[in-house]
This record gives sequence, C-alpha cells and structure tokens, in this order.
Amino acid sequence: MSHTVLICDDAIFMRTMVGDILQQAGFEIVGEAETGVQAVEKYQQLRPDLVTMDIVMPDMGGIDAVREITKFDPQAKVLMCSAMGQQALVVEAIQAGAKDFVVKPFQPSRVLEAVQRVLG
Amino acid sequence: MDTARYAELFLTESQDNLSAINHALLELERTPGAREPIGALFRAVHTVKGMSATMGYAVVAELSHELETLLDLVRRGERDVSGTLMDTLFSAADTLERAIELSVAGREEEMDAAETIAALRAAASPTSESATTSGVLSKQKKKKRATRRSVAVPAPATIRVTQEPNTPMAGVRAYLVLERAKTLGTVLQVEPAPETFTADAFDGRLTIGIDTGASDEEIDRVIRSAGQVAEVVVTRAGVAGAGQRPAVPNGDGLLPVGSAGRASELVAARQHRHIRIDLHRLDTLMNLIGELVITRGRLQQLATTMNEPALTEAVTQTSRLVADLQDGIMTSRMVPVWQVFDRFPRVVRDAARALGKQVELIVEGQEIELDRSLLDEIGDPVVHLLRNAIDHGLETPEERVRAGKSPTGRLTLIAARDRSAVVIRVTDDGKGIDRDRVLARAQQMGLVESSRTELTDDELFRLIGRPGFSTATQVTDISGRGVGIDAVHTRVRALGGTVDMKSAKGEGTSVTVRLPVTLAIVRSLLARIGDETYAIPMTHVNETVQVESDTIRHVKGREVLVLRDDVLPVVHLRDLVRLPRRDGGGGQVVVLEVADRRAGMVVDELTGQQEIVIKPFDTVKDGLSVFSGATILGDGVPALILDVSSLF
Repeated sequence: MSHTVLICDDAIFMRTMVGDILQQAGFEIVGEAETGVQAVEKYQQLRPDLVTMDIVMPDMGGIDAVREITKFDPQAKVLMCSAMGQQALVVEAIQAGAKDFVVKPFQPSRVLEAVQRVLG
Repeated sequence: MDTARYAELFLTESQDNLSAINHALLELERTPGAREPIGALFRAVHTVKGMSATMGYAVVAELSHELETLLDLVRRGERDVSGTLMDTLFSAADTLERAIELSVAGREEEMDAAETIAALRAAASPTSESATTSGVLSKQKKKKRATRRSVAVPAPATIRVTQEPNTPMAGVRAYLVLERAKTLGTVLQVEPAPETFTADAFDGRLTIGIDTGASDEEIDRVIRSAGQVAEVVVTRAGVAGAGQRPAVPNGDGLLPVGSAGRASELVAARQHRHIRIDLHRLDTLMNLIGELVITRGRLQQLATTMNEPALTEAVTQTSRLVADLQDGIMTSRMVPVWQVFDRFPRVVRDAARALGKQVELIVEGQEIELDRSLLDEIGDPVVHLLRNAIDHGLETPEERVRAGKSPTGRLTLIAARDRSAVVIRVTDDGKGIDRDRVLARAQQMGLVESSRTELTDDELFRLIGRPGFSTATQVTDISGRGVGIDAVHTRVRALGGTVDMKSAKGEGTSVTVRLPVTLAIVRSLLARIGDETYAIPMTHVNETVQVESDTIRHVKGREVLVLRDDVLPVVHLRDLVRLPRRDGGGGQVVVLEVADRRAGMVVDELTGQQEIVIKPFDTVKDGLSVFSGATILGDGVPALILDVSSLF
C-alpha cells in the first residue's frame, strides 16, 4: 500500500508541483490544505502518513499548524517546505515537531530523499 | 601566522587555565572521588594543549599532552587519586606554568621538562604504582565496562558530524542532526553552539558530546537520518570506537568538546563583561593624565597671576574635568584582588605539605579592588606573610592538639578598603611570636639594652623585620632565612604602604599591610640639591622649617634638631645622595613623619609642591635604596622620588 500524503501550501503552483513529484514516486495524495487551520482539520480527518507544510500561510501559519498537529498526534510526520532565508523559522518548526525540511526551489530528488528520511 | 600578536592573548588565556588547573587540583585533593575537578582539569589542560600547538610551543604542547593522558586514566578510574599522584600533578602544573612563561618569552629552549614528562609517563604507564589494581583485575574491569556498554548503559561519546558540501540550509540541517542525537541519549555539549548554526560562519561541521547507550553503528545510522550527512565519527572516551579518526594523538575524549573548554568555569563564573586592554596603554594614559595634572597646576598659577575672570573660570572648569578624568583612569586601572589571591590556596597547600602542618586557608574580601600595578607588586609580600605564618606561626598538628587546639591551623587572609587605603591582613591562630626568645636574641645581638624585660608589638616587629634577624632554629625552604619579613617591609614601604603586627602568645599572630589604593599620582614637595630636584611625597611631610646651622645640635655624636619641645634626629639629603655638605650647613628642614616617628631632613632649598606621576624603577643592585621611583616634572626635568620610610 502506498503512503498517504497531505499537502499544505497556499499557492496552487506549489501544491501542484509537490503533488506531482510525490505522485510520480508512488505516493497517494489524499488531501490539500490552503491554510494552517485547514491543515490541522484535514490531518485529524485523514490521518495521512506524511504532511508537507509550507511555512507562510494565511489563517494560522505552518509552524503553528505543526504544533497543533503534533499535539494531536506526536507521531505525525511533517516535512517543512521552506524558502531560502527562512532558517530561523525552520528551526522553530523543527522545535515544534517537524521531522525534516526541503528548501525551495524544489529538486525532486531532494524532496524524495527528505520524504524517505521522514518515513524512515 | 603572526604569532607575536597572539602570544599575549595566549599567555592571558593560559594563565586563566593554569589558575583553573590549580583550583581543580586542590579540589581533587580535598575530594578524591569527585568527577567535576577532573573534568575541569581535563578541559583546561586540553585548551592549553590546543593553544600551544597552534602557537608552535612544542614543550608546552607535549607537557599538556602527557598530563592529559594521565588525567584521562584518572577520569576513567584506572588510577587512584593518591598522594603520589597529586604530587605528580601539582608539579606538572608548575612545570607547565614555567614552560608557558618561557615559551611566550621566546626562551623555550631553556625549558627542561624532561623530568616532569618522565614522571607523567611513569604515572600513566600500566606498571605504575598508582594503577588502581593489578593488570589482571584492571583488564577484567575494562571488559566489564565494555560488556555493560553493549547492554545500553549510557557512556560518554563524542560524535563529529560533517555535512555534505553545499547542503541547503546547512545550519538548520545541523539542528536536525542535534534533534536526532537527542533521541540517542543525553546531549552534554555541542560545538558550535546551536544558536550559531544558522550564522554564516557555520561550516557544516559539528561535534556533539553525548551520554549514550547506543552502539557506534546505531549512532551512525540515527545521525545520518538527519540527512545530507557526509561523515560521522564516533569517539569513546578512552576506548576507541568504530571509525575513529583521532584529530589529536590521544585521549581526545568527551570533555574537551565545546567552548566550555576554553577557560575554566571557575574563572568564567567570576568574570564580567570585560575587554582586555594592554596595561601599557593604561600606563600611557596615566602618564598623560599625570602631565595634564602638572600642566593644570601651572595653568592655575598663570590664571591667578593674570587675574582675568573669564580665564580663571575656564581654568577652574578645566581643573574639574582633569580631576574627573584622573579619577576615571584610576578606576579603570583597578582590578579585584582575587586575580592575585587566586594562587594563594596552592601556595598554602604546598607550604603546609612541605612543613607537615595542617592548614585551612580562609580568604575574605576577594572583590576589593586595587590599582593593577600595586596588585602585581603585592603578591610576593603576601606570599611571604602566608609562608611565614605557616612556618613560624602555626604549630604541627601534634603540638596543636597538645595545646588544646584543633589539629588544623586556621590562616585568614583578608582584604578590605579603609578610606583611601587597602588593608591586607594575614592572621594565624598559631603559637604567636616567642617574645622572650626575640628579646634574648636582640640582646645577644646588642640591638636592645640588656636591662629590658619586655618588647612592644612595634619593637618586636621592627626586630624580626631586621635583615638577618631570625630565631628560627633551622633554615627551611619555606622561610627562616630572616629575609621574609624584611622583604615584606622593603616592598611595602616602596609602595608607600606600612606594615604592622600584633602577636599574642599561644593565640596567634596578625600582620597588617596598609597600601594606598593607587600609587600612580602623589602630591610631593620638591627639594633642590645643587642642580638636582628631588620629590618628597607629601604623605610623609609634617612641616617645613627654616633653620640656621647652629639650630642643629650634636647629642651623643648624632645630629638633632630641637623643634619646639621635640628632639628630632637629623639627616642631610646631601649625605643621602653622597654629595659634600655645603658650607654653613643651614637651609630648609623638612620634618618627615612615618608612623609616629619623626625626623628632620636638611635640603638646600624647597622649590614648591606638585602632583607627580610615579614611575617605579627596579632597584639597582648596590644602588641607593633611598629612592622609590622617578618622575618627570612639569617642565620636563626628571626627579627622583625619596623613599621616606627607608630613612626610619
């Protein structure tokens, strides 16, 4: 059975791109979220194996969403998607419970490596 | 590398570390089982090793390396903390200190550390007496430890991680490495500090000190799961781990990791935010202020003569600012006395050991501040006092018990501020000075009339302070050569201070040194002899009188001056500087006073008063000991400063 993924990003472009990379690698995209609030709700609803999380999103950012998700499920596997220059935020996300991160612009190989590591 | 630039820094930092080493050694001796002092020792020695290797000081590096090797064995419990071992360690610390000083002075080739290195190697060799047990048992122990490790008993390890080149957000990735490491056990230390991972300077390498029960393979796997890890090297404290690639030849265990190894916590805890300033710069500033103070005097004089209100006001304001400036510079030269007192516990320990005495040293007032130059000068005299107290004051444990005292003698060193002076007092609870013996010896030497039956504290002190006067029955390494108290006297006097003593038979002795807080600037009277000007510090000037030659009388072959109802002994400045007296003999007499004693000094002429900046000089052998320093006067002419206390 393939792993299930929830993709959280406020930009359709990014959701599509991440979705394509993961789908081609055999993952099943079970849901998408455009805000942090949605991300938390959908996680609780879908219980995906993996979450990709943008940092900056409207209506609760990615870091707070990670915090909420981890509170709900300490085993949650969240992969942060970060732009250059957001080091401090990524560190914060890791402290909040994120398991790994990838840096935009995405290279499919890097994303997949990170995903493999997170799923361990 | 421009090593000269770093030499000073190396020296300062090494001194911090040496101080930490001595503290830790004392602590270790007190509590042989304690782990913290060994850790502190290890860190300090390791830091010295690293620094000295960088500086190219081979002897220091080798010494610290051997020391580190031995300490590693101690840390692993393979050497007992015995008296012999402590002696080896203490003596190694001393050798290390000498080696550092000589290396920095560029005289490394004079250093002979062979003996110490041999002693360290002997203590570290498997056949050493201080090895905990016989070889067999030791092996069993090792085996046991190894077994225990495999059943996940946490043991210290160092993990060195190198990331792949061009890792995006390498700092954040390093953070993930650290998070992964935390799942393995208790992280003790991280270098660089996690807060700096995301700084530009981060080079993709980090070192983690950890207490973990995980195997090397497990560590490797978990650390690599953080991603983009190129290399993981695990080092066990003492036991070689898989893939070990020692960065330094040996003993590179857990403890040296991290910035905590740079300087001892012992020292760090007491350090505030400081910048290091070359003392010479402060001296230069002080000198400039001195010149300014002198110029101010001339300016004030001119303003008074010209009597121009606007000028007078400007001069007054300038004077105030100069005074404030002088104050500020003085304050910046002040350092807490612990910087010198820090080495005393070690001194006391060594002296007590050598003399078979038990001594507890109590130090108070370490935070009291003194002018840096004074503090440097006062260290040796205080060491003399401490040694004297241990040698002559305190009794042996048996004697003490017989006298109904605790076997451990109590030695107190107190620093305190008293108005513009700093008081340093060394008190022991020993047997006190044997007045009868001192009196007998003094009478035997013809120093005291044979009819006397008692001595005052003051007389007592002046007697034992005489060069060559000693009642010690035997000369020891520690004291008893009759130079101790005398040396203290001379040094303290040269600094413009005084020494006095109180002693009660059976209860102990207390020696008090009073020093000016700063010695840099003093108000002085200027006296002329021929073409030369001499400065007499005002602190010792009572009054000045004009005398005719017939006012000076001769009593019992000595010259005296009858001043009102007092008869004062007379000295001629011309005699002191070995110049022929003038015909007629009259002139100005300066009445000098030191601790209730007065004397008159005849000079050719008095030319005024000035604030002078004292520039001490080293005493020239066989030179005139009546001068304590030199100064440059407002008009640029140099003048010698009279050491008034030396005349009494």
